[in-house]
Amino acid sequence: MASAFRGRKAAAASVAVLAAAGLALAGCASSTPSGDGTDAPVANGELVLVGTTDKVTTLDPAGSYDNGSLAIQTQVFPYLFNTEYGSTEIQPDLAADLGTFTTPTDFEVKIRDGVKWANGSDLNAQDVAFSFNRQLAIADPNGPSSLLYNLDSAEATDDTTVVFHLKAENDVVFSQILTSFPGAIVDDEVFDATAVTPDDAIVEADAFGGPYAITSYTFNETVELTPNANYQGLLPAAANGGVILSYYADSSNLKLAIEQGDVDVAYRSLSATDIEDLSTDDNVKVVEGPGGEIRYIVFNFATQPYGSAQADADPAKALAVRQAVADLVDREALATQVYKGTYTPLYSYVPAGFVGAAEPLLDLYGDGEGGPDAEKAKATLEAAGVTTPVVLNLQYNPDHYGPSSGDEYALVKQQLEATGLFTVNLQSTEWVQYSKDRSSDVYPAYQLGWFPDYSDADNYLTPFFLIDNFLVNHYENQAVNDEILEQATTTDPAAREALIEKIQADVAADLPTVPLLQGAQVAVTGKDVSGATLDGSFKFRFAPLVKG
Amino acid sequence: MKGLWRYVLVRFLLIFPTIFILVSLVFLFMRVTGDPITAALGGKLPPDQLQELIHQAGYDRPLWIQYFEYLGQVFTGNFGTTLTGNREPVVDVLLRYGGATLELAVYALIVALLVGIPLGMLAAKLRDRWGDAALRVFAILCYATPVFFAGLVLKLVFSVWLQVLPPSGRASPRGVIALDRVDGATGIYLIDAIRSGNPALVGDVLSHAVLPAIALGLLTGGIFLRLVRTNVISTLGTGYVDAARSRGVSEFRLTTKHAYRPALVPIITVIGLQVAMLLGGAVLTETTFEWRGLGYELAEFLAARDFVAVQGIVALLAVIVALTNFVVDLIAAAIDPRVRY
Amino acid sequence: MSALSARVGRLPLIRQVRQSVGLQRGMLVTGLVLVGVVVLAAVFAPLLAPYGYAQLGDASGNFGAQQSPSPAHWFGTTVGGYDVLSRLIWGARTAVLVIVVGVVLSIVVGVLLGLLSGYLGGWLDRVLVVVADAVYAFPSLLLAIVAAIVISGGQSGLWSGILAAGISITVIFIPQYFRVVRAEVVRVKSEAYVESAQVVGASSARIMFVHALRNSTRTLPLIFTLNAAEAVLTLAALGFLGFGIEPTAAAEWGYDLNRARSDVTSGIWWTSVFPGIAIVLTVLGLTLVGESLNDLADPRLRARRKAKQR
Repeated sequence: MASAFRGRKAAAASVAVLAAAGLALAGCASSTPSGDGTDAPVANGELVLVGTTDKVTTLDPAGSYDNGSLAIQTQVFPYLFNTEYGSTEIQPDLAADLGTFTTPTDFEVKIRDGVKWANGSDLNAQDVAFSFNRQLAIADPNGPSSLLYNLDSAEATDDTTVVFHLKAENDVVFSQILTSFPGAIVDDEVFDATAVTPDDAIVEADAFGGPYAITSYTFNETVELTPNANYQGLLPAAANGGVILSYYADSSNLKLAIEQGDVDVAYRSLSATDIEDLSTDDNVKVVEGPGGEIRYIVFNFATQPYGSAQADADPAKALAVRQAVADLVDREALATQVYKGTYTPLYSYVPAGFVGAAEPLLDLYGDGEGGPDAEKAKATLEAAGVTTPVVLNLQYNPDHYGPSSGDEYALVKQQLEATGLFTVNLQSTEWVQYSKDRSSDVYPAYQLGWFPDYSDADNYLTPFFLIDNFLVNHYENQAVNDEILEQATTTDPAAREALIEKIQADVAADLPTVPLLQGAQVAVTGKDVSGATLDGSFKFRFAPLVKG
Repeated sequence: MKGLWRYVLVRFLLIFPTIFILVSLVFLFMRVTGDPITAALGGKLPPDQLQELIHQAGYDRPLWIQYFEYLGQVFTGNFGTTLTGNREPVVDVLLRYGGATLELAVYALIVALLVGIPLGMLAAKLRDRWGDAALRVFAILCYATPVFFAGLVLKLVFSVWLQVLPPSGRASPRGVIALDRVDGATGIYLIDAIRSGNPALVGDVLSHAVLPAIALGLLTGGIFLRLVRTNVISTLGTGYVDAARSRGVSEFRLTTKHAYRPALVPIITVIGLQVAMLLGGAVLTETTFEWRGLGYELAEFLAARDFVAVQGIVALLAVIVALTNFVVDLIAAAIDPRVRY
Repeated sequence: MSALSARVGRLPLIRQVRQSVGLQRGMLVTGLVLVGVVVLAAVFAPLLAPYGYAQLGDASGNFGAQQSPSPAHWFGTTVGGYDVLSRLIWGARTAVLVIVVGVVLSIVVGVLLGLLSGYLGGWLDRVLVVVADAVYAFPSLLLAIVAAIVISGGQSGLWSGILAAGISITVIFIPQYFRVVRAEVVRVKSEAYVESAQVVGASSARIMFVHALRNSTRTLPLIFTLNAAEAVLTLAALGFLGFGIEPTAAAEWGYDLNRARSDVTSGIWWTSVFPGIAIVLTVLGLTLVGESLNDLADPRLRARRKAKQR
């Protein structure tokens, strides 16, 4: 226990006593409602302390659509499908099979028999159908129900069979979505069918069915997770004696906590400076995994230079401007100077690590090897008859995509201006106003980032490049639109992969967005902690963590 | 006496328009800055879906309708339910985090008094000598150093170099869980820790309070120092003290007793006024040290544009400040009849 | 008393420096020097600063991020790859602009409202007093943040940032100028010399305002310097909380401090210490001047020449 507080001097002794006392208190806490014996700790390992800067919106999966909430939901709620550690292939979790289409719009899934919630009541198909129907009924503004766009209703035909009635036929993406935000299964005896259920009610009723149950809950401050003896699923039972999850607001405080041993694992999000400094510290290990996060510049086809709403509208010149930007950005410099290698250059729309990822921009733009090419940019602009310097109003947001955005875009501005081809007016706007402005044609070119909702290439194409997309940048390419719709219902994996690659090549020629960087997942652990796994599921699972 | 009661009544009635004005100002300001739905989902949803959600929530109705609706709720004692986070009644938020802010304010006030009063008297004693000048510069430095910079420096020294004090939070992770399990927890950690009967827990809670209390306390302490000095010097110059001096009372007793007592009255007044400042300063102190109180939550709710929560917290602050000013004015009126209307 | 104040008003600062003695003079002069340095840095920033505030590199390539102090970069470079010294000097310009905007607006509006309220009296007076009290009780930082969002529409350019900090400071300080000036007007209104002036034929309002303003000059310098100091602190707090000025639009100390938070815990001290000290010294200078002026205006606090000679 004392090792958890390594690094402290004067305070160490008193705090070590406290730690022991804290455990003693945890043991005799049976007077609290949650400790009614059914979730007695499985004493097969030490407690692991995890720190994070992500925040919980609410425990209820119907009321949250963010990584902070998902991070804890994946530990305490069961999902029909899941992925094994290190794999992106979906497997049955609470489900007993991978589901079958009994008709093109009826997707039937069998679930495991005899599973119980942590509070002892039955976990059956009625719970599953209830979970999805309430998502649709509540449709909370902060909830993920929009991801269930293809679900009409769910129905339990018996205790172990659930049928999803879909709107579109043969949807291959649907089972991917079930592993993610809206896929968490909740207890129909505890959760409200028509409203978001308060966190305290969930904790009090012990309505958990994942590898862990919550046994102490102080909202966005500290959560105690105890292994759930009733969990049955794809993943092995928890290897530790429980997890204490602590929330930090500032990454530098989280960094001090991991450095001084106040927490054993720090996951999301340390700054690049923190990680660089910690990588030289022998007392901690830096664990990296593939990242689904991407950062990119969006062009508005109406308001960009020579855009359709401009007096001198000219699609060819507008394309040349976008191509010149793609030629000039030096992604390597952004990744090393601003992010110190915690992000890597991105030359594709579907990032590396996903089925169908290609790098079409690598050949098309710059020097062909990933670097910038000023001559090529100049030639492109000249060939299209564009007068230089091109005045480009570029917007970024300083408070939503990390504090380094300012540094990133200052460097982009410098890269574009260095050759004299562009004059960049760089501006930043706080997030709420930014969100309004960007979708009402205020910004000709602007920063956005994306974190995937589920682990599939579709999540990097459908939201962005359909004619009716969330960027609302007036990009319209009917061929691309049709191809995207086609891949979502192509059941043959090889054909689908080829289609996804073709879509990216087509989009790369049009350049509605210029991808810049792809983020890696990084966790930092104490040197005596093992089992930290960061994989393509983009979920950090606590069950395999072991200390000592 | 009749004049005093009339004054009390007028002064009491004035509390209500003050609170009304503040609540209205916050309402208007918050609606201008945007809605919680765009704040949460602006990066995920297309604008037509966003607009639909905003419409469902009723945020696109005319402002005055929403305003009277809100006023109606407030008059019936209903401060609403937070729109983000845990979706709990605003009153619960106030109760839970109010204790934390109160705790920090009390610690800071203790630091401020411990620093301000003795050093202020010392400065008055050393008037116009180097010690006085040094103390005065110290007082100004306390005020001139932004709490977030003081926080960085304190953390650097005590948490990174010396490693004797924790850099953030109100208790260690295990401590928070232990405190959560105390029966009938008050949310004021020191009281809960003492009731738990676990001395290590009390030590844990206190060690977390040291740095934020110093950062916020020095800010106010500098103001107290300056005030005590000025008032002691003023009273030292009055005939009353001169008379005592002529009776052969020692200079030390003159400063500490005869000049100090009358100087205390304006200090009490300022302590009252400082409540507003402590609450305001708490926003920066609480965010710097991750002290989860009302100031910290206020910053969070503001970023999420949760106007119901922001309105509720500000309304509470307005009530506290208005009540404090009321009490302070009463004390002042009781001492000095000229103050009365 | 009013004659003395009038002379003080006519010959600002030089008169007070002469009037002061010993340590009091030392504090006043120190304050004036600190303020002078900041103002000079602000005016001559383009000449003094080795690089531009948004310059990331020169002919020999990029500076690089978080470089430790060296002959090329005396105070090192920031996490964004800017030269710390250059941003320090350019930051003085932003600070001085905010002081000017905040102080001028507060004085104009506060004094005008105070004169009007005190002179007219009645319901307008009562309403204004209650509103001033209410606004005074408002958490000032919250007001500043909201003002920053409303004024700039969330954009963080140079002028929107300066106006946001300046106007939010104005809102908080108007009640203070208002109170002082109103109190003086109410007092002067009841005094005999207004009536005697009326006999001479001057307009009563004009006479009152002149007298009231002269009498207020005793308290106004203190409020004035507090106002300026608070403007600097508010700008820094806004920058620190992320509502400040975009780094390619202007240099701002609070923003640099915010970005240096991770540096501090990683042993990179130069990115935070210098902007922090710049804020502290600017506020210290302003407050020293204000306190010294206040002491000199108050006979009880003025340092005694004789006492020193004894």
